[in-house]
Formats: sequence, C-alpha cells, structure tokens
Amino acid sequence: MGASLVGGRIRHASILKAEGRSIMAQNLHEFVLRLKAIFQKRRLDRDMADELAFHQAMLQSKLVRQGVSQAEADAQTRRAFGNPSRWHERLRELWQFRSLENLGRDVSFSLRVLFKSPGFMSVAVLTLALGVGANTTVFSLINGLLLRPLPVPESDRLAVIGIDMGNPQINYTFSEPLFRGIEHRREVFSQVFAFDRHTFQVSGTSGPESVNGQLVSGDFFNSLETPPLLGRTLTTVDDSKGGNPSGFGVVISESLWQRWFNRAPKVIGQKLQIDNIAFTVVGVMPKRFIGADPLQRPDIFAPLALEPVLDGSHNMTDAGLQMSWLTVMGRLQTGVTLEQANVQVAAATGSVVNELAGNPKQLARIRNRHLHFTAENGSAGFTFVRMLFRQPLRAVFAMCGGVLLLACMNLASLLMARGATRQPELATRMALGATRRRLIQQLLVESLLIALIGTASGLVVSPVVSKSLSVMLLGGQVDMQVDTSLDIRVFAFAALAAIVAAVLVGLVPALQATSSSLNAQIKSGQHTTQSHERRRILPKVMMGGEVALALMLVVGAGLLASSLVRLYLSGAGFDPQDLDNISLSLDKQPLKGEALLQFYRQLEDGLRRQPSVTSVSFAGIVPFTPFIWNEDMSVGAGKLETIYYNSIGPNYFRTMRIPIFSGREFAWTDTPSTGPKIILNQAAVKLLFADHNPLGQFVSKHEGNSTMQYQVVGVVGNAKYVDLRSPAPPTAYVPMTLDGGDQFPSYVAVVRTNGSAGPLADAARSLAMSMAPGIPAPLLTPMSVTVDESLSAERTMALLALFFATCALIVTAVGLYGTVAYATARRTNEIGIRMALGARRTQVVAMVFLQNAGEALAGATIGLLAALLASRALASFLYGISARDPWVFAGSILALSLIASAASLLPALRAAKINPQSAMRCD
Amino acid sequence: MLMGQTTDSGELIQGTLEMLILKALLRGPLHGYSVAEWIQQTSQQMLRVEEGALYPALHRMELRGLLKSNWGTSENNRRAKFYELTNEGQKKLNVEAQRWARLSSAVAFVMQAS
Repeated sequence: MGASLVGGRIRHASILKAEGRSIMAQNLHEFVLRLKAIFQKRRLDRDMADELAFHQAMLQSKLVRQGVSQAEADAQTRRAFGNPSRWHERLRELWQFRSLENLGRDVSFSLRVLFKSPGFMSVAVLTLALGVGANTTVFSLINGLLLRPLPVPESDRLAVIGIDMGNPQINYTFSEPLFRGIEHRREVFSQVFAFDRHTFQVSGTSGPESVNGQLVSGDFFNSLETPPLLGRTLTTVDDSKGGNPSGFGVVISESLWQRWFNRAPKVIGQKLQIDNIAFTVVGVMPKRFIGADPLQRPDIFAPLALEPVLDGSHNMTDAGLQMSWLTVMGRLQTGVTLEQANVQVAAATGSVVNELAGNPKQLARIRNRHLHFTAENGSAGFTFVRMLFRQPLRAVFAMCGGVLLLACMNLASLLMARGATRQPELATRMALGATRRRLIQQLLVESLLIALIGTASGLVVSPVVSKSLSVMLLGGQVDMQVDTSLDIRVFAFAALAAIVAAVLVGLVPALQATSSSLNAQIKSGQHTTQSHERRRILPKVMMGGEVALALMLVVGAGLLASSLVRLYLSGAGFDPQDLDNISLSLDKQPLKGEALLQFYRQLEDGLRRQPSVTSVSFAGIVPFTPFIWNEDMSVGAGKLETIYYNSIGPNYFRTMRIPIFSGREFAWTDTPSTGPKIILNQAAVKLLFADHNPLGQFVSKHEGNSTMQYQVVGVVGNAKYVDLRSPAPPTAYVPMTLDGGDQFPSYVAVVRTNGSAGPLADAARSLAMSMAPGIPAPLLTPMSVTVDESLSAERTMALLALFFATCALIVTAVGLYGTVAYATARRTNEIGIRMALGARRTQVVAMVFLQNAGEALAGATIGLLAALLASRALASFLYGISARDPWVFAGSILALSLIASAASLLPALRAAKINPQSAMRCD
Repeated sequence: MLMGQTTDSGELIQGTLEMLILKALLRGPLHGYSVAEWIQQTSQQMLRVEEGALYPALHRMELRGLLKSNWGTSENNRRAKFYELTNEGQKKLNVEAQRWARLSSAVAFVMQAS
C-alpha cells in the first residue's frame, strides 16, 4: 500500500485499478452528452441561465429573510456571482468538444496571425494559386479533351475500333463497306456502330440553314443507351438501304427542339426539308446526350444508309473502299476485356476482308496491305483532335508537375524562413506551457489555411483561364466545344495538391521551428549570433532547386516558342496574308460541264469587281486542309512517280503569289478540245525531267489501265500542300476546265484582297445566291486562319509551355523576394551596426543582394544541365531548331538572371534605406 | 477554509469538492443551491462553496455520468434543476470516501510524529 503525492493528486495503487475500468464508460458517456449538446444548444443555454437565475433568486430571498434590504440583497448577489457571461462561457466550455474547441481557436488565431502579415500571405497565396491553379487549368483542359468519360451508362465498356496498316499511326477512319463488314459480327462486341460528322442543309424559315449533325448507323443509339426525351431513336430499320419503309426519319437534339420548335410536344411527326428531301422528326434527345465525339454537339442525327440520298451523286458510300470517312466504335460483350477484344478483332480481320465485295482492284489493294483491326479504350469517345495532342501530352504533364513542385518548394522555403523569424514567439509560448504537439498543430492549421485560400483562389480563376486556353487551342472552329467545367476529378486533383502542399510543406518548418533549445531562441532576436546557420541549408537547397526547375521550364518554353515562330516563318511557298477562301457547295446543283464553268466565270467576274479585291481564282483543294489528291505520273515510258495534284482556275498563281518561273498560267480557253494542259512545280520538274526543260513536253497520268497525256505549259515555285512542316511535295496543276464538275463540282474561290475582307463575305453570298438560288451560303475563311488551325498542336504546346514558364518565373521571383526580404528583416540590427561602423549603402546592398547569389548560381547550373538532358524529349516536336539551341539557352539564363536579380535587388535596396540608429534599436 | 478557487494545480481541492457534493446527494435529489447550503450547514459554516466552483463541478460530474439531472419545481414553486446520484456516483462516493479516510489518517500520523 503506497501513496504518492504528485502535483497535488493523491493516487492509490489499488484505487487506480478500480477507476480504470470506468474511465472508458465515462468517456463514452461524455461523448454522447456532448454530441447531444451540439443539437440542443439553445435549450442548454436557456437551462444554464435558468439554473443560475434560480440560485441567485434563492440567495437573494435568504438575504432578505436575514433582514437585508432588497436593493442591498440585489447588490450582494450580483457581487457574489460576478460576470454572468463569464459563467455561461465556462459552463458552455465544459459541454463542448475539446478538440473542436481547440481547432476553432487555432483557426481564428492563425487567421489573425496571417492577416497581420499581408505580404507573406499574398506571396504564399499567389504561389499556391499559380502552382495549383495552373495545374488545375491544364488538367481541366486535358480532362475535357482526353479523359472525361462520355455521359452514357457503362462508358468503360465502349471501345474504339481502328485499323493498323503498318504505319506509325493507327488509322481510325473506315470505308463504308469495311464497316458493314464488321457491323454484324458479335464475337467480341454486343453492338458495333459508326458515325460521321455531317452538315445538313435544312430549309428553315429564312432560307437554307446549315445545321451540324451526324450520320449514324443502326446500333448507334442502342450502344449509347440513352433514352430519348420524346419519340424514339434511330434503329437498324432506319439504317437500311432505302431507309425506313414508313419514311425517312431523323432524331434532333433538345437544343434544336428548343430553338426551332419552342419545345412543342408535337414535334414528333413534323417534317424537315433536308437537302431538298423530306424527313420526319421521330425523336428528341436530351441535352446531356452528345453522341460519341466529346467535342461535337450534333443537332440532327440521320441514318447512315441515307448518305447517298443526302450527298447526291458524289456521295461517299458509293465511293466504296476508296473513301474512308467513318469513325467506328463498339460496346464490348459482357465478360470480354479490352485486351481480349484487341486480340480477337486482329485475328478476325482476315475473314472480314475476305468476305468484302467491291471493286476487285481496290479489294486487291486492301488485301495486300496486311492490315488488322485494333480495339482501344473508348470510354471518352473519339475525336480526331485527340490524335494531335497525344504525343505532347506527356511533356505537358511533366511541365504541370514541375510547376506544382516549384510552388511547393517555394511555399516550403517561405514557411521555413517565416518559421525562423517566429522562433522567439514559439519558444516563449513553449516556456509558458504550450506543448510541442499543440504548437505544431497550430502551425499546421496555419499552413492548411494558406493552402485552402491559395487553392480556392486558384480554382476560382481556373475555369476562366481554361476556357480562354481552349478557345486559343481550337482556333476558329466554332462548332467544337471542350467541356472544361470543373468536375470531381479536377477538384479532387486540386484538393490533393493543396493537402499535400500543406502537410508536407508545413510540417518540416513546423518541426524545425519548435525544435531548438528555448533559451537560445528567446534571446536570439537580433542580439545573439545565428548559431543555427547549418540548419539553413535546407532552404538554400530548396531555393537552388527552384531556380533549376524554373530554368528548365523557361528553356522548354523558349524552344517550343522558337520552333513555332520558325514554322510560321518557314514560308508556305505562297502568301497567306490577305488571302480569303470562299467555299461553295454546288454538289446538288443540276449545273454541269459548260454551264457549270459559266457559273464560275460569272462568279469570278462578280468577285473581281468588288472594291477590295485585287485578284480571283479557284482551287479544288486548299493547302493545309485534310484533302490529298495524288496520281501516278511518268514521262513517256519512264519511272512512275507519285505526284500531288490540284485542279485550279486561271490566275491561280498570281492570286496565291506563287512565282512563275517559265511558261504561263491557265486561261479559260484551255478547254479539253485544245488538249489537256498541265503546270508543274519545280519539285515535280526535278523528279520527272531532272535538268531538262519541260515546257512543251508531255507527261502521262496513269490511273488503273488508262493513261492520259498532258502538255506542260508552265513551271511554278514549290508550295506546301499538307502542312507547314512537311516540305513542299512535287505537285502538278490541271485546269478546272478539264474537270467540268466531275472531280470537283464545288470549287473554292481564292480571293486576294487589299486588306478589308468584311464586305466580301456578304458580296460573295449575294452573288452566289443570285446566280444559283437554293445553294447553301458560301463560307469565307481567311487563309491565315487555316494556317493557324493546321498548327494547332504546335500552338497549343507553345502556349502551354509559355503559360507554365510564366508561372514558374513569377513563383520563383516571388519566392526569392520573400526569402531575401525575410532574411533582411532579421538582420536589420546587424545592418544597422555595420552602417554605423562605416559600411556604405552600396556595400549593404551588395551584401544582401549576394545573399542568395550562391544558391541561385548553383541552381542555375544544375538547371542548365538538367535542361540539356530533358530537352531531348522535345526534339521530335521541334521544327528548324535543335533541342540544344544555344540562343534559347542563353536567352533563358538571361531572363532568369534578370528576374532573380530584380527579386533580390528590391529588398536589398530597401535594406540600404535603413536608418542605422533605428535599426540598432530594433529588436 | 474557503474552498472553490479552481486553480490549475487545484486538483486536490476539486476532487474533495466533488466528494462532498456526492455525499450531499446521498440522501436524495437536490438542486444546486441546496447542495451548497447543505455543505455549508453540515460543516458548521466552515466550508462555504463558491458558486464559481459549484456549478462547474456539478456539470462536470453530470458529464461524467456520476449525476443525472431533472428539471422540477423547488419548495417555493420555482423551476429548478435537480441533481441526483447515479449508480456510478454511488460507487465513486465510496471510493473517494475510502481514499479520503486513508489520506487523513496518513497526514495525522505524520503530524503526530515529533
């Protein structure tokens, strides 16, 4: 039996044991009661007030009975009880959860501390907003483009079917016969469907209107499993030759239903004149249904089998195996995995191809190519834009990570610097009895608050930035939309980033700040020497690391931006400035042959008379659009070469500003009766004629079994065809008079203006309409826009890289500024002494400025080496510039040095303005 | 002896007060005022419980399950909160009483030694 007196508490060994058993029960009881108290807060308050009032009343009446006057009794009672609100406070505290109460106190304390130093606060918040915000922005974009699953049930069971032809890139477009060949096979997929973008010419109230939509196969709606708002969806019955026996049906979108029919319920059964053919609306799809292409918002869905009806004589279905235009997807059978599907479709290719029917020559070509089908994840649908961004995306993710890391490091060094200045305060609090655990908890709450505010500000700005980025990416393509709204994944990403930032980044400084001996710290202020210099290595390393990362990002941006500039400067071989392309749509017109050419001649006349127009011509194919036409040609019995082709009008080269080296342009008089003429570019001449003069010579075009002879009448400069990157291919030009509407019923009017294209669009429209009423309105696209669009991937990369580099520079600058400012503030006393002892202002400035010079230099060196290594990843993407271009590297180092210097100079200059007397008095 | 100043190091005082409250309620439910009165009277006016210590103690004990409370009417028809012992409270009272007895005899031994 032993008793011990410890801190006023007397414990007895055996008694302790008896107590122990009931402590658990006690805690539970407390917890339950406290929980109840949260919900009955008002009742609790009232009860407490009543209880105390009762006691007061009893006391008063006792005093009165003892002979004290009422007033005196009142006064005495009040004195005895003291401040009533303090009572309530104390009693209420008992009933609250202590940890919650502590948390609340931590939060309010932290907020007060943070708002007392607005400089630090804004720096920290800005850093995080940029770091997390930048990443959230880009992530939203990538999510909208690549990752977001289609809003259909079980989207993860969808697969995209492609054709591997042995090229580096898998082909994702099918010809109609090939699609029909796999449409009904059920070994791997429960449904297979195809779709293609299509612009429908619908007769509206004010003339023909172009409506965006899709042609879809029979199982399209089945596979996407979304019930219609009204009516029914299209089925395999609709997707049959000749259409549904009860009439041609289309399904419209909810937004079209709203715009055109005002949500009238009797829209089902309404007739729509599409391409001059009567269709019936059979269903309306809800707004959330967007089909299988996440970038499209189709308003009309029509059956695939009706494409020949809609497109008239030049339809793609009849082109058979030659024309690949369909995107094909499928829904996996239950139990089949994607890998299994991939293997099985590849194995089934042979039998599909063998069962194809069609033009024997085309069949032979396909069978010889040894292609096989592939199946890939289709949960996010399919869009060709994705192909552009797949490669660079890894680089983008790396940059994302870089900026986030940078922000975290920045924040960490800021917090560490700040922690160092707060050491006296923390030490004092510890001496007064605060536990280390509580202090760290409070510091963590502070970091979390910074993280929350920073992340919140980043998130707020993110959608706006994301939207503008996507607008820049997709260029002028107005019918495409990237859904960049914040969704769970993006939010989770940002939240994760913030929490990681807060905990990791706040923990180390918190541990550091509360670790050293109390005595040294309380005194430390300004008077003792900094005995813990060695602990400041970590912040130095961080700062160096930041500079390195920033340099890498700046180099990356510099390389991509220079590459883009070089692409633009590389020259297209023609002058795209002030050049407009007016695309006409004459497919369904009855005009043919001579009549059609007359139409074009009249149009040329009319356009040339417009005030701003200097030159007009026509082209079958516009450069940098996804159309390619090539033929096999030879000189006599010479070697067959593949030459690119274009069909053009007179004055083409003058309009395009392509130099003519010898011979002449085409004229309207170059009719078939005078013999077929041809113009070659220099590359074609070199290929076919080597060094001989081709003028007047004949070349043969070989197509199947037939040969056609052309006479060369001109040699022109090389112009780029497919894109700016690929060098100009050998190209041959034939006059449109030869075509007569067979190859190209619709030409594009190529117009060179003297700057103002505004009225041209309307003029063109009224001209065309007056000459051939009923054709859809011609579309005017400036050539510069087409050029920009062809460079979307490069523009995106450059834009993103610049965005990240800017963020990185700001964050680094802000971080440098912050740490130097802090360090300077701590050394104010020392600076005062130095200046009093005779140091000149410049010396002081130099001392502060060079404070960070060491680690900045080290960081820059490491960054340089890292950038040299990492830039190799970009090499394949660059044009005309090496991944180790010395100018870019030099420029980046210069930029970083300037910014780092400015960031370090500002606090240094401020240090120089310190009054030595007040500095020495400062503590 | 004026008890009831609750200081941080006053665990001893707090524990004793709780024991006294438990004893007061042994005979049946009382409201807070009566408890204080009973302690004062039974200790021959030597122990005066400050309100500032009484009510926190009562509430604490209620939270821990040693007491339970009920609203009722006082002897002069006022609404008052009545406390009564729970089983836990009974057990705790016995434990504390034993402890107190041992402590006071121990102190007496020490003080009696010359």
